[in-house]
Amino acid sequence: MEIKDLTINDIRLGLKNKKFTAVGITQEYLARIKKVDPQINAFITVAEEQALAAAKNLDNKISKGEEIGKLAGVPLAVKDLYLTQDIQTTAGSQMLKDYLPQYSSTIYSKLLAQDAIPVGKTNTDCYGFGVSTENSGYFITKNPWDLTRVPGGSSGGSAAAIAADMAVIATGTDTGSSIRQPSAFCSATGLKATYGRNSRYGITAMASSFDCPGPFAKNVFDLAIVESVMAGKDPQDATTSPLPVPDYLNEINNLNLKGLKIGLPKQYFTENTQKEVVDAVKQAAATFAKLGANIIEVSVPDPNIALATYYIIIPSEISANMARYDGIRFGQSVSGTKDLFNYYLETRGKFMEPEMKRRIIIGTYVLSAGYYDAYYLKAAKVRTVVKEAYQQVLKGVDVLFAPVAPTTAWKIGEKVQDPIQMYLADIYTISVNVAGIPSLAVPCGFDNQGLPIGLQIIGNFFEESKLFAIGHKFQQLTDYHLQRPNI
Amino acid sequence: MQITPIIGLEVHVELKTKSKMFCGCDASHFHVEPNTHTCPVCLGLPGALPVPNITACEWCIKLGLALGCTINEETFFERKNYFYPDLPKGYQITQLQKPFAVNGKIAIDGHDIRINRAHLEEDTGKSQHVGDTTLLDFNRSGVPLVEIVSEPNIVSPEEAKKYLGKIQQIVRYLGISDADIEKGSMRCEPTVNLQIGDSFTPLVEIKNIASLTGVLDAIQYEVDRQSKQFETDHIEKNATNKTTRGWDADKSVTFLQREKEGSADYRYFPEPDIPPIVFSPDQIDAIRATLPEMPEAKIAKYKALNLSDYDANLLAEDLTFSSIFEKILSNSTNSEFAKFIANLLLGPLKTIGIDIGKINPLYFKNLYDKKADLSSSAIKQLVLESYQTGANPLLLAQKQNLFQVSDTGAIETMAKKVLADNPKAVADYKKNPQSIGFLIGQLMKASGGSANPKLAKEILEKLLK
Repeated sequence: MEIKDLTINDIRLGLKNKKFTAVGITQEYLARIKKVDPQINAFITVAEEQALAAAKNLDNKISKGEEIGKLAGVPLAVKDLYLTQDIQTTAGSQMLKDYLPQYSSTIYSKLLAQDAIPVGKTNTDCYGFGVSTENSGYFITKNPWDLTRVPGGSSGGSAAAIAADMAVIATGTDTGSSIRQPSAFCSATGLKATYGRNSRYGITAMASSFDCPGPFAKNVFDLAIVESVMAGKDPQDATTSPLPVPDYLNEINNLNLKGLKIGLPKQYFTENTQKEVVDAVKQAAATFAKLGANIIEVSVPDPNIALATYYIIIPSEISANMARYDGIRFGQSVSGTKDLFNYYLETRGKFMEPEMKRRIIIGTYVLSAGYYDAYYLKAAKVRTVVKEAYQQVLKGVDVLFAPVAPTTAWKIGEKVQDPIQMYLADIYTISVNVAGIPSLAVPCGFDNQGLPIGLQIIGNFFEESKLFAIGHKFQQLTDYHLQRPNI
Repeated sequence: MQITPIIGLEVHVELKTKSKMFCGCDASHFHVEPNTHTCPVCLGLPGALPVPNITACEWCIKLGLALGCTINEETFFERKNYFYPDLPKGYQITQLQKPFAVNGKIAIDGHDIRINRAHLEEDTGKSQHVGDTTLLDFNRSGVPLVEIVSEPNIVSPEEAKKYLGKIQQIVRYLGISDADIEKGSMRCEPTVNLQIGDSFTPLVEIKNIASLTGVLDAIQYEVDRQSKQFETDHIEKNATNKTTRGWDADKSVTFLQREKEGSADYRYFPEPDIPPIVFSPDQIDAIRATLPEMPEAKIAKYKALNLSDYDANLLAEDLTFSSIFEKILSNSTNSEFAKFIANLLLGPLKTIGIDIGKINPLYFKNLYDKKADLSSSAIKQLVLESYQTGANPLLLAQKQNLFQVSDTGAIETMAKKVLADNPKAVADYKKNPQSIGFLIGQLMKASGGSANPKLAKEILEKLLK
């Protein structure tokens, strides 16, 4: 077995049994990044120094016979929206070029506390504004399965790093699709947790009431380990839930397939969806049907309504969340302007990416006096309706199976001229964010061009355990997640 | 033509909680080295999130209750968006649609000033302009503020001043703020216009008022200015001609700061980082139970003890002071005793700033019981010395020989000697009995001040008959 095929527990055990050292593994991964990443561009920053220091520290612990963490020695790629005190954090934006944060995000600290090894910060659409990494202020990440195609986004760098074996686990954030869609495009496994399950503290905010930080891994079992570290109440994030975190690993094999009810929302299987995608998702359902699960067609609110709601509320929150990027306390700024007003105009004008400006403008508009009731308030009401409808549907079935995206990965540049087309790529993922419920993305096939297809397993609030159990079972029955791009 | 001022007051009160409104930073900022009480949250750094200070929420409810407001059981915060360098996030977390408290009132000389709302928000940092540079201090950023908004039914500058004084008194009673206008922990922004006949002058909001007198002067100035202005231009209030004027205390004038205030759009929306805050009726009742007896009730109680209106008000002015009064009174209903204490507290003890812990009610009772044998100046001196040393005032009186001699025999002996030594004064007395004052003085002097002056007079008169 090659080092790059090792799972979390393989690494942890190998370290305990002194089969290899943390420094050894880290060097191997850093070497792979050096070799592979120039083609992929998954990383904005490779944290060689920090990774080796963490590995050395871990080896010391092991040699002293100290207890090691759940993620000991595991190479971790961190989406560049996560603040890391020891590594520059750009949020994929020129505004934060060379920004070294004064503190670390809660999740990053939790992962390090379990002895994960941070190998670098991954590319993202600036602040998460996009579905392809084409809105990054630095460069476009390429899909490891086809270098002419996008890896999905916004957490495209993290998904590509997993797919190209440059890390074993990664962090992402999912506001509308940003963990699930790149997972699908790159054939990684990713979780959009229930809103409030994982802390947002120390992650640059996109749309506060939607942002869901979460993990990427190569399989569901590893994903469940990472999520068990990430999840839980954070006193520094008032929106995190006080509900106890279940023992995901204990429950992962706790699945009774007999009588399991899988809903197929008919609104997700339309002619607008690539046929191979529809077939692959239905095939996944059939796999469970053979083992005794009931497949039930269900109806959910029109995804177009959720999309419209989303694109009113998120720019509103974004327009306020971006106000702190004023060039006064941190980040890039211009000098020599004639007054304060022009300082703002020129700084924000020069260093903000076009998609950032677009969303600020839309949000500012819909919140303006006279428009608030027609847009924001109405959207907030629709949001409640969508949320209640999904809760209702999920009372009748255990989970929903749905495609992650209507298509597989598209060509770089194909949609950049048409933001609406870009927004529509999220049509099957956004309802989940509007409802606030969890959804697991797992690989479920390839189209005739060899591009990966992703399955969404959607559950009710705080039912991550159930999603892990079903996803884990699926990966025991299939080998899509084990396929690797030729790189 | 009849001119009626229409005055509304926005009062900001800085809460003296230990930590700030949305982070754990020390909330003190007066004379603190700049930017030392800061963290990612109050600096508005990327990724930082606000967590509400529950004590501040409770205090806002407490104040709302003291102002006779209705408390909203469910409230939420909102973002008020505008750019300024001392507003680090580019928005202020405040409340618009659902404040903690609504619909209260304060009575000023029998006139109810209606209170629209009391809501909770965060303060901004401070900008200090030095030449063409601006220095920023974020120690104040995120300090909790309660904003109390009155309805515009204040009718005179004097009433505005009294209203502000009353709010100051209430928050100090509640112990939730120092409410010091000079230090900025209480701020007041009046909005003033006039009704002249059937016409209304344009609204003017006055900023930068830094004292209680400033409120009075600034509003008075505006009333005069607007009535003169209206005489010349006859411009009436409309939806877009509200202006903001600053108060220049040195020149005693207001000056134009901003025009077209009505057009500002703050794009409020619910703060997504903080879930709605819910206080149950039981929790609100529990807060109500912590309210101290308010000044109005105390004044009534003191007046029932036959204290003058003036003294009752003065004693009730601040809670520490009235607590001291009540501690000494120890539930006594003796109005003579109450007056005795009031005179001492409002006299010699008023000036030195007393500490309730160092007050021994028993000593006051002792002094009161012996007051017939002590001169009023001796009592004043004793109460001060006793407070400062902790010694029993009667013991001090004995040591210093301050008890008045009421032994008729001893005084008579001294009186005879005084009369013998002062034949001219005796002769004067025969012509004019009013001149006895001189002889009393001599007798007091001879007794070393210890003779009871009343008794001294009686004995002299008897001997001179």
